[in-house]
Amino acid sequence: MGKEKSKSGPLARRPDNSAFKQQRLPAWSPMLTASAVLPFFYLLALICMLLGVWLLLTVQNTQEMKVDYTEAGSCNLCFEMRKNVSNAGQRCTCMIMFSIEKAFKGDVFIYYGLRNFHQNLRRYMDSRDDGQMLGRKSNLKSPSSYCKPFDVDEKGVPIAPCGAVANSMFNDSFILTYYTINGPTVVPLLRKGLTWYTDKNVKYRNPKMDNLTLPEVFEGTTRPPYWQKPVYQLDPFDPNNNGFINDDLLVWMREAAFPNFKKLYGFLYRANKPFTKGLPAGNYSVTISYNFPVQYFKGRKEVVLTTVSWFGGQNHFLPIAYLVTSGLILLTAVVLTVVWWKFGKDGKNMAD
Amino acid sequence: IDCISHFTFFYYPKLYTPGQRNMYFNRTSFLLCIMQSCYNSLILFFIPYAALHDTVRQDGREIADYQSFAILLQTCLIIVVNAQIFLDTWYWTGINHFFLWGSMAAYFALTFTMNSNGLFFIFPTMFHVFVSGTGRNSLNQPNTWLIIFLTCLLCILPIVALRFIFIQTSPTINDKARKYKMRRDEIPAISLRPPATRRVSKRSSYAFSHSQGYGDLVTSQKFLDKKTPRRPLLFVKSLCKLAHMIIFGFFVTFTQL
Repeated sequence: MGKEKSKSGPLARRPDNSAFKQQRLPAWSPMLTASAVLPFFYLLALICMLLGVWLLLTVQNTQEMKVDYTEAGSCNLCFEMRKNVSNAGQRCTCMIMFSIEKAFKGDVFIYYGLRNFHQNLRRYMDSRDDGQMLGRKSNLKSPSSYCKPFDVDEKGVPIAPCGAVANSMFNDSFILTYYTINGPTVVPLLRKGLTWYTDKNVKYRNPKMDNLTLPEVFEGTTRPPYWQKPVYQLDPFDPNNNGFINDDLLVWMREAAFPNFKKLYGFLYRANKPFTKGLPAGNYSVTISYNFPVQYFKGRKEVVLTTVSWFGGQNHFLPIAYLVTSGLILLTAVVLTVVWWKFGKDGKNMAD
Repeated sequence: IDCISHFTFFYYPKLYTPGQRNMYFNRTSFLLCIMQSCYNSLILFFIPYAALHDTVRQDGREIADYQSFAILLQTCLIIVVNAQIFLDTWYWTGINHFFLWGSMAAYFALTFTMNSNGLFFIFPTMFHVFVSGTGRNSLNQPNTWLIIFLTCLLCILPIVALRFIFIQTSPTINDKARKYKMRRDEIPAISLRPPATRRVSKRSSYAFSHSQGYGDLVTSQKFLDKKTPRRPLLFVKSLCKLAHMIIFGFFVTFTQL
């Protein structure tokens, strides 16, 4: 556009005639030509198809077994018992039988799954004190106000760990039994190393001990109202798994994004027979110490046994999505080729 | 932002017509923009949700937690928006390159800084949503990157395909000029007469580019009804991205409930 010529006087404010200021910088000017777009689409369709097939084969090699034990079998009695709050202190155990047709080869992971438990509710997620769980002494005796009403008990004693997230910790426990010809054997589980490295070593620390024992460090605090044991008795045999750095507590404190989730409970210990190659096929039973009540939010509980691959657990969505996408891209590429052939090939529409 | 220099505009004044006819910014193109934003938001949420809701990391530990899901969605969004800018920019100078690749690099740098141990120790309660380690623990999984790749494909490829179809079937005058310029590298150098000898009046160049007055056209709103092929310009695209992010924000807030 031309400049205002009606202004008289010297052209002192005219910008320099440099390439930068006159927008004449050397530039690359791409355009969507047929020779670029069409091969690109065909190549992408091929890549997506290969990825889809590869992922499908990987996922087919994983195995998963889900056992819903909310009211199944003898757990029905425990389910009825937990409806009454006054029975909260009583123990209840039940047993579910299941069988595995095909052996689980490789590392086997045991999860507990919950359905319809919204750990992603905003007020619930706010109800925690990360400073306290980092081991800060100032936060230990005076938890943050976000933890209300789980910050102090009725006598005014501060709660450690405070907040609704820690208070609602999952407290069922499982014992897996395998029925061999010689009789039942307990399936050995490793209950350590369940969390991220950064959770265990950075985000959660016990308060500094300074020659005190852990119960003495937590002197002046009390356990959350729904817990049976105080936090320093979660694993008294292992100081690296006791207090705020207990693996089960850490796994629970990492809030799930969706209402149906599963959290790691343990790994199969594969040092001894017959579990050296994984879980053999056969009959199994899981003995559950049933504590967590789910009827208040119409939830379900389940035990999940699964193997994993480099891709993760068993999730059929992504391979199928890739295959569908590859089909769609191929269809689009064919349509584009037809459009290009009929309309734009000889530059018919480009007459100036 | 066009590769055509101002010399070309002197030679072919018809290139001014798209701007004058308001082809690039009108109600239809804005509505198309909103529809594209809705589609992108749905893809950006539901594809990662379906892919992540029942799976774990490759070592069996958790990946479907709130913070990892949030990081995944944000990374998808940043890459999709930057890819859209990549498609819209027709004239790539060094500045464009710097800002595009720089903004992606800044996103990753800021994510890892916010997720670092040091910042968490200083402000443990402020950063309790994006806490230490989430970026490292979720973005090093191949599963995560496969989800990001699929989401970006599903968001970007429809746009590329539609643009290609429009260029082939009904190109705008700017497309034709660019194609013409690509075929012939140089417009023949015209001797630019100094404007002083051409101008006999003191009118500005804006008035000079009109053939007749547009007063009656503006007041009758006729120019909004022109049936010419439309494609949104970069300015509209920045509005689109704003609408895009607002709609996406609604989805994320909705899931929090």
